[in-house]
Amino acid sequence: MVVGDIATGTDVLVIGAGPGGYVAAIRAGQLDLDVTLVEKDAYGGTCLNHGCIPSKALITATGVAHEAGNAEAMGIHADPAIDMGGMMEWKDGVVDQLTGGVEKLCKANGVNLVEGIAEFDGENRARVAHGGDGQGSESIEFEHAIVATGSRPVEIPGFEFDGERVVSSREALSLESVPDSLVIVGAGYIGMELAGVFAKLGTDVTVVEMLDEALVGFADDLAKPVVDGMEDLGVEIRLGEAASDWEETGDGISVTTETDEGEETNYDCEKVLVAVGRQPVTDTLNLEAIGLEPDENGFLQTDDRARTDVENVFAVGDVAGEPMLAHKGMKEGQVAAEVVAGEASALDYQAVPAAVFTEPEIGTVGMTEAEAEEAGFEPAVGQMPFRASGRALTTGHTDGFVRIVADAESGFVLGGQIVGPEASELIAEIGLAIELGATLEDVAATIHTHPTLSEAVHEAAENALGHAIHTLNR
Amino acid sequence: MVREFKLPDVGEGVAEGEIVQWLVSEGDEVSEDQPVAEVETDKAVVEVPSPVDGSVKEILAEEGEVVPVGNVIITFAVEGEEEETAESEAPTHSQERVSEEPAEIGEEDETETPAGRTFAPPNVRRLARELGVDISSVSGSGPSGRVTEGDVREAAEGGNEETKGPKQLDEGLPSATRKAGEEGGSATGADTADLESADRDRTLAAPATRKLAEEEGVDLNRVPTDEERDGEAFVTPEAVRQYATAQREAQAADAAAVAESGTEASTGGEPTGSEERLPYRGIRRTIGRQMANSKFTAPHVSHHDTADVKRLVEARADLKDRAEDRGVKLTYMPFIMKAIVAALKEFPELNASLDEEAEEIVVKHYYNIGIAVATDAGLMVPVVRNVDEKGLLQLASEVNELAQKARERSISREEMQGGTFTITNFGAIGGEYATPIINHPEVGILGLGKLTERPVAEDGEVRAAHTLPLSLSIDHRVIDGAEAAMFANRVIEYLENPTLLLLE
Repeated sequence: MVVGDIATGTDVLVIGAGPGGYVAAIRAGQLDLDVTLVEKDAYGGTCLNHGCIPSKALITATGVAHEAGNAEAMGIHADPAIDMGGMMEWKDGVVDQLTGGVEKLCKANGVNLVEGIAEFDGENRARVAHGGDGQGSESIEFEHAIVATGSRPVEIPGFEFDGERVVSSREALSLESVPDSLVIVGAGYIGMELAGVFAKLGTDVTVVEMLDEALVGFADDLAKPVVDGMEDLGVEIRLGEAASDWEETGDGISVTTETDEGEETNYDCEKVLVAVGRQPVTDTLNLEAIGLEPDENGFLQTDDRARTDVENVFAVGDVAGEPMLAHKGMKEGQVAAEVVAGEASALDYQAVPAAVFTEPEIGTVGMTEAEAEEAGFEPAVGQMPFRASGRALTTGHTDGFVRIVADAESGFVLGGQIVGPEASELIAEIGLAIELGATLEDVAATIHTHPTLSEAVHEAAENALGHAIHTLNR
Repeated sequence: MVREFKLPDVGEGVAEGEIVQWLVSEGDEVSEDQPVAEVETDKAVVEVPSPVDGSVKEILAEEGEVVPVGNVIITFAVEGEEEETAESEAPTHSQERVSEEPAEIGEEDETETPAGRTFAPPNVRRLARELGVDISSVSGSGPSGRVTEGDVREAAEGGNEETKGPKQLDEGLPSATRKAGEEGGSATGADTADLESADRDRTLAAPATRKLAEEEGVDLNRVPTDEERDGEAFVTPEAVRQYATAQREAQAADAAAVAESGTEASTGGEPTGSEERLPYRGIRRTIGRQMANSKFTAPHVSHHDTADVKRLVEARADLKDRAEDRGVKLTYMPFIMKAIVAALKEFPELNASLDEEAEEIVVKHYYNIGIAVATDAGLMVPVVRNVDEKGLLQLASEVNELAQKARERSISREEMQGGTFTITNFGAIGGEYATPIINHPEVGILGLGKLTERPVAEDGEVRAAHTLPLSLSIDHRVIDGAEAAMFANRVIEYLENPTLLLLE
């Protein structure tokens, strides 16, 4: 502590203004707690500034261009020209509007905003170092702290991010010009989403993946339409190849990959984008000062009240463990604030949905058939292919299906997997069914608007019950 | 101000009670602790006292009505008191209960699904947390067992463990006022039908078949079928007609049988009017549930034997008058209790219970003997404590006193709890042998037939002798037949030579 330093007191110190942190801060403010929110960079965190929002903005923009240019079947002949600067400007406008909104909401809910990097300085004290030389620092004394420092992209040896040749998703979302060619390391959801973006921009994209499958963690039948879709866009996907090295060539770089057998391949490209995952940011917090130690993966262990092992310290969002998803962090932030305020809040959701914004999209929630079986249920499964959906036909996107998994005995919906148009939106209905304890019959008995894609959810439920009209019952 | 009064949890784990009688009327002045109603719950009739000084504003339940614990049954007008609603009372009440008896709520996991999953919407989950209820232990009454807000509130009031039981029973049970034959496929008819009734949760059938079933008054889930569609039972119109016919025939046969047996039935053939439907609840239902629970939990084995009790009859005759001088009516029961306790000491595994959850046999080193007493309301089992420490006269007076209380239904729940072995004396009414149902979780029960003169063969001669038929049922999970027989032999030995009891 600096001699003569006077600490500001607060009920709740929230460290990090991403989806977990700003939700915690706003909720705590709503509950009449004195809240201080410390952010080092920009309100909204990775999600708003360098992740979900800018990537979805670009996915939409490039999607519009691609659609327009490939709509001959609909009688549309167009050759869209992409003004990369304009597209980035539009995307930045979206981001600015949202981050500005977060800041306004925080202020409107009485949250004290502090810019800087916070680290713990004792059980009830933190220091915030303000950015820039000579900006100084200040101490904050807190009753409760909510750690929401998020995550950063993982680097792999030999591929340190330089922002020029070797970029992370963050830089990739802010490129000023369209690269001619791009090697993406990692065929996870970030890699695949960005592969789609750049392919639609006309970049020659190669995805290299160390594992033998793309989109690991998603069922094969969900991943396959995406891989097919990417290949249709001209993306080359190389599985079982680990990026081992890169070197400058005349006007670009050459990325070397290696198989398990030691077979090497070189890919010439303009840039390499490394998207092999994200790691929690816990190393900037001086956790020893409060007696907390992250686990071997850097995560802070929490209970169902978002508490860490230290009673007055909570952790939410990416630092609190997998799945690293903004909506999970938001829920945790809300719960942490409510628990601090003494409410009977808890993380007792039944399922966390996930979405991949590729073409086609993937949306999942709850259990797969195999997981339901493993959990001891006798699963009843219903499926509806989009090619049998009137609305899907009218959008020109008929790849994929909706699958609903339920307990055969009670009919309770346990999970759903969707691959296809608007899967990210459609999955919400199944999520709601799971949380409400709705049965297949409940879903089947609910009238869905015609003609919409959501009818596929209805049909899948009917299919599981054995009386689907528009598909053959299994 | 108005004070609402909810039916309290009048005994452990009681989910509901029948209002037997209101002791006050609307407008009556009442003082705190003054009994306002008689409520019949488990095995006892309990008086419910007023919580306040004031006047009765409104009576919200009728006599004879079965009210779930936690429902408001009466409101009082109280002068000068702040209004206190049921809602504001609930959280504190529930928290108290939870902290007092945490095991009670956690014990039964009826709603537990394979993955340890409880199906309840988020608002209900939140309510459970607010009320301090472990949602995984709450029985759901919603569709497919989904836990509802009401279930959680009920659990918070402390009476949830049994909700599933009674509720299901209620659904399947005829009400007191329902006419016979109103529902064609009723359980009574189905049981006697040649065509055995199915009992599915879901049945597939065409709409026309459903309509037919409705017309015939047949529950589709009860119609037997071998047909399936996609793994679900499928019922055809033919099956419905066949079942409906069988039902009608069975009912006609029932009615005919009743008529033949010479009871009230006055018309043959037509079931209407030949049946009477009585409510199955209160003590009768409790007995029924406990009997079923015992019978279907403990594999019963019954062992029968007869004691030649000449000397016992003489001993009692000798002592009877002396006991009477001391104001005590001496029956055979105290002798039999002493004989049983002496035998239990030698075969302690019969004085035990099975803790199924812990997978342990709990052998009791105290001897609390339950005596089954037939009362107007049904079977009750008062318990005489520490029989081994008491003399014949004391036992005699305690048995008499408890039996009297049971008949008057003034016996408390405590006086019927804590037994280690039970005696049932059906011989008091007549008969020789029976299969007594164990007073679960005890592991043994001894039934006494009528003590009377019977022919006994001895040395090739037949003579008249006072004999006592004994029927011992044991829980075969804990006790084997050989032990049961040895125990019975020892009881007989003591009964045939009562002086041996002096050594005890």
